[in-house]
Amino acid sequence: MMKRYIIMAFITTSLCSCAVVKEYEKVNINDPDMTLSEKKADRNVTTAHSYREAAVGANGGKTGGGCGCN
Amino acid sequence: MEAAAVIDKIKIMKRIIIIFCLLAFAKTYSQTFQESTTVYKKRVLETTEVDFLSSYYTQDGDNAAVSGGIGTEELTDATGTFVVSIPLNDDDILTIDAGVSAYTSASSSNIDPFDDGPADAFQASSGASRSDLWGNVTGSYSHSSDDRNKIWSTKLSVSTEYDYFSVGLGGSYTRLFNEKNTELSISGNVFIDTWNAIYPIELRPFGENVNGLNNPFFTRNNITGNANYNPNFTPFDSEGRNSYSLGFGFSQILHKNVQGSLAFDFVQQQGLLSTPFQRVYFSDVPDSFIDNFQLADDVEKLPDNRFKVAIGGRLNWYLNEVVVLRTFYRYYFDDWGITSHTASIEAPIKITHKFTLYPSYRFYNQTAADHFRPYETALSTDEFYTSDYDLSEYNANQFGFGISYTDIFTKAHIWKFGLKSIDLKFYQYDRDTSFSSHIITTGFKFIMD
Repeated sequence: MMKRYIIMAFITTSLCSCAVVKEYEKVNINDPDMTLSEKKADRNVTTAHSYREAAVGANGGKTGGGCGCN
Repeated sequence: MEAAAVIDKIKIMKRIIIIFCLLAFAKTYSQTFQESTTVYKKRVLETTEVDFLSSYYTQDGDNAAVSGGIGTEELTDATGTFVVSIPLNDDDILTIDAGVSAYTSASSSNIDPFDDGPADAFQASSGASRSDLWGNVTGSYSHSSDDRNKIWSTKLSVSTEYDYFSVGLGGSYTRLFNEKNTELSISGNVFIDTWNAIYPIELRPFGENVNGLNNPFFTRNNITGNANYNPNFTPFDSEGRNSYSLGFGFSQILHKNVQGSLAFDFVQQQGLLSTPFQRVYFSDVPDSFIDNFQLADDVEKLPDNRFKVAIGGRLNWYLNEVVVLRTFYRYYFDDWGITSHTASIEAPIKITHKFTLYPSYRFYNQTAADHFRPYETALSTDEFYTSDYDLSEYNANQFGFGISYTDIFTKAHIWKFGLKSIDLKFYQYDRDTSFSSHIITTGFKFIMD
């Protein structure tokens, strides 16, 4: 039973992700606040985190090198 | 009759051949027509853009790594960066990113706490190590294919500070599919770094070919507590540190108002991963002092390899014309025993067509590194040890607030550059230990006329 739910969830997710949004429908997606990266103004905040925290990466920030920290 | 049938067949064949030829000609002509039609290609970047980013950062706490996990962590840092993006043609962009960061640190001033007044881990010293300047220049070049579905880029970076020098080289390739609804990317970076190792002042006389307690440093300063001070110190053989990272990205438009992404980063670091001026105090060695400052038993010792894995996801949702939700989650682990969760949410609120507010919250936690030892708990028999509380277990909360001004008509000008946007943000960061920090960031974006 559980297997079925997992397979259904997988198929539903796959189908959702296959739905194509046309260029003329991307007005909201193209809003500057919708970008899938950090804003440039936040770059120094991310750098401060990479100095003070053990975890780095997967956020567009530094992953190593360039300073004596981390 | 048979001859007539053959003639009919020949006529039919002729018609088929003529129709085939006509079709072939029509197809060829249409292809030629398509090939000769000029396809409009939008420039990847219309004009030169300049970003000026700055920040002012302050922090404080009671667990300075320089003084073995006890002492002031007070630090201020001011950073200024210019990012200039220049379109070389319709497809190519050259970006120059140059920044300078100047910091003043009470804890690093205590690399030599004995240069003025009574030494104390909770007070800053006025020595040369009190401040430093970090400089960085990165040049990157990107090329987009005619259909804008393939993008490759390469970059070269150099950064330097008094005791550290780094050269980095990287590249990435991005492929868009599914009418630009799906994006896959791969990236790689290599950093070749070199330390100019600086050790705590009291350990230097115990390096190779020096005279230990007979050094003038110890004749000038009187040792209290264990007067037979004999640290377990050997300078590091190698001062190089190399980092190699490989990243994979996947992003997908899920709906006309929702899009998300996944990122996987793998990082391998090799070389001197210890920080040479961070002291460690052993619990099985009697303590020695000069003034109120405890003398180091050693500097931190960490393995010369570290493998890090980070898996992150973003989901952005355009709720309506006023509010957007931006969310982020990351799971991280490494072979030093640290696992970490990061989650953040930001909700940009458009209050007018020019002004947007940016309230945000971020949660972070991590477990301690296997080799982390709080102040005075490491043993002299341990192979590895550090009292750097950045590698300890903790939770942290960060609250942020910002405001952004955008003028799409760029009316305000400085020389040939029109001001497009101004960002101003403030973040307050608190650990569940004594550590806290604040940062104010500004960003100005200009576009060339």
